[in-house]
Amino acid sequence: MANWIPLWVHKLSSPPNFYRFAGVLRPWALALALVLGAIALYGGLVLAPADYQQGDAYRIIFIHVPSAWMSLFIYGVMAVAAFISLVWRIKLAEVVAMESAPIGAAFTFITLVTGSLWGKPMWGTWWTWDARLTSELVLLFLYLGVIGLYHSFEDRRQGARAAAFLAIIGIINVPIVHFSVNWWNTLHQGSTVRILGPSKMSGDMLWPLLTMMAATKFYYIASLFGRVRTDLLSLESGKDWVRQIAEQEGQR
Amino acid sequence: MSHATLASACAAVLRRDLTLAWRRRGDITMPVLYALIVVTLFPFALGPEDALLQRIAGGVVLLTMLLAMLLALDAMFRSDIEDGSLELLMLSPQPLALMLGMKILAHWITTALPLIVIAPLLAGMLHLPPSVMPVLVYALLLATPLLSLLGAVLVALTAGSRRSGMLLALMLLPLCVPVVIFAAGAVAAAQQGLPWLAPIAWLGAALVMALVLAPLACAAALRIALDA
Repeated sequence: MANWIPLWVHKLSSPPNFYRFAGVLRPWALALALVLGAIALYGGLVLAPADYQQGDAYRIIFIHVPSAWMSLFIYGVMAVAAFISLVWRIKLAEVVAMESAPIGAAFTFITLVTGSLWGKPMWGTWWTWDARLTSELVLLFLYLGVIGLYHSFEDRRQGARAAAFLAIIGIINVPIVHFSVNWWNTLHQGSTVRILGPSKMSGDMLWPLLTMMAATKFYYIASLFGRVRTDLLSLESGKDWVRQIAEQEGQR
Repeated sequence: MSHATLASACAAVLRRDLTLAWRRRGDITMPVLYALIVVTLFPFALGPEDALLQRIAGGVVLLTMLLAMLLALDAMFRSDIEDGSLELLMLSPQPLALMLGMKILAHWITTALPLIVIAPLLAGMLHLPPSVMPVLVYALLLATPLLSLLGAVLVALTAGSRRSGMLLALMLLPLCVPVVIFAAGAVAAAQQGLPWLAPIAWLGAALVMALVLAPLACAAALRIALDA
C-alpha cells in the first residue's frame, strides 16, 4: 500500500537521515538560488523599464518585496515547526524552528533597511511611523525575542522548547499587528503612500519579482539546511553516526 | 486529611500571595515610586509647555505603567521557584492553570492596582483634562490585567533561565503593541472629543480572551521551563 510516504517522512525526521538528505539537497538549492537571483537581478535592474512615476528608484522592490514576504513566510515555518516540536517532541523540528529564526530576522532586517533606503528619495524620510513599517519592526523584535530566549538556557533542548512556545504565542500577534494598519489609521493620520500591488504591475516588472521570490525561497532552503546540518552535528555530538561522519571527514 | 475544594484552594493561594506581599509592603510601593519619578522626568526632557504635555499625557502615563509593571513582573515567580513552593503547586491535584490565575490576580492587585490609583495624579501632573481621566482609568483597568496575563506567560517561559530581566522586555514589549495602541487610542480619542468606546471594547475583548488562554499558556510554559 501507499504507506511509503509516512514511512519516508518518519525516517527523514531522524537526525542522521536528515543530515544526509540535507547534504544532498543543499548544493542544488544554493545553485538554484544563485542562478534565479542573478536572472531576477538582471531582469529587474536592466531589462525592466523605469517606473513612470518613481523612475529607477522603484527597482529596490526586487530586493525589498521578496525579503518582506520571506520575513513573514519564515515566521510561519518557524511557528509550524515549533508547534510540531512541542506536540511530538521531534528533535529535528526544534532545530528547524530555532535555525529559521536568525534567517527570518535577517530577511526582516533587509526589508527594513531597503525600505528605508527607498523611503528617503520617495517619502523624503528614512523612517515614518506607518503601521506597516512598525509592524515589520515588531516582527524583528519577535524574532530577536525567540533567538534571545533560545540562547538564555543552558540546556539547549529546554531552551528550544521555551523559544518554540514563544514563537507560537508570537504568531497570534502577527495578524493583530497586521490589522493595526486599519485601527492605527482611524486614530492617526491616514497612510498616504502605498507600495505597488503586484497585480497592478506590468508583466516585465512582475516576472523578475516572482523570480526573486523563488530565489529567496531556495536561498532559505539552502541556508536552513546548512545551519540544521551543523546544529545536528553539535547536538548529537555524542552519537555514533556523528563519530562515523567525523572519521570519514578526517580520512579525506 | 481532607482534600481542599477548588474554591478553598484558590482562596488559599490568593491569600498566601497577598499576605506575602503585605509583609513586604516596601516592594509594593516601588513600582509606584518608579512611575512617579519617570513621569516627573518627562517635563524636564521635553520642556514644560502645557500644550505639549497635555497632548502626550495619556501615552506617557500608559507607557510608564507598562514599564513599572515590566520591572515588577520579573519577580512574579522567583521566590516561589527558589523555595520550591511552585513545584508543590504543580504537584497539587488542583488544576495548575487556575492556581496560576490566582497568583496572577494577586500580582495584579499588588502591582497594578496601586499604579492605577496614582494614574490620575500622574496624568494631572501632565495637565490631562479631568474629563478624560475616567477614560484613562477605564483603559488602564483593562490594559493592566492584559499586561499581567501576557507577562505571566513570558515570565513562566524564562523561569528556567538565569538572565531574564532584559530578555523579558524584549519578549513582552512586541506583544504589548496592540494593548498600547488601543489604550492610548481610547485616551487620544476622548481627548479630541471623539467616541472612545470602540478601542475600550477591543481591550475588553482581548482581556476576556487572555483571561481564558493566558493561565493555560502560563501553566504549559512553566511545565516547559521547569522540566529539566
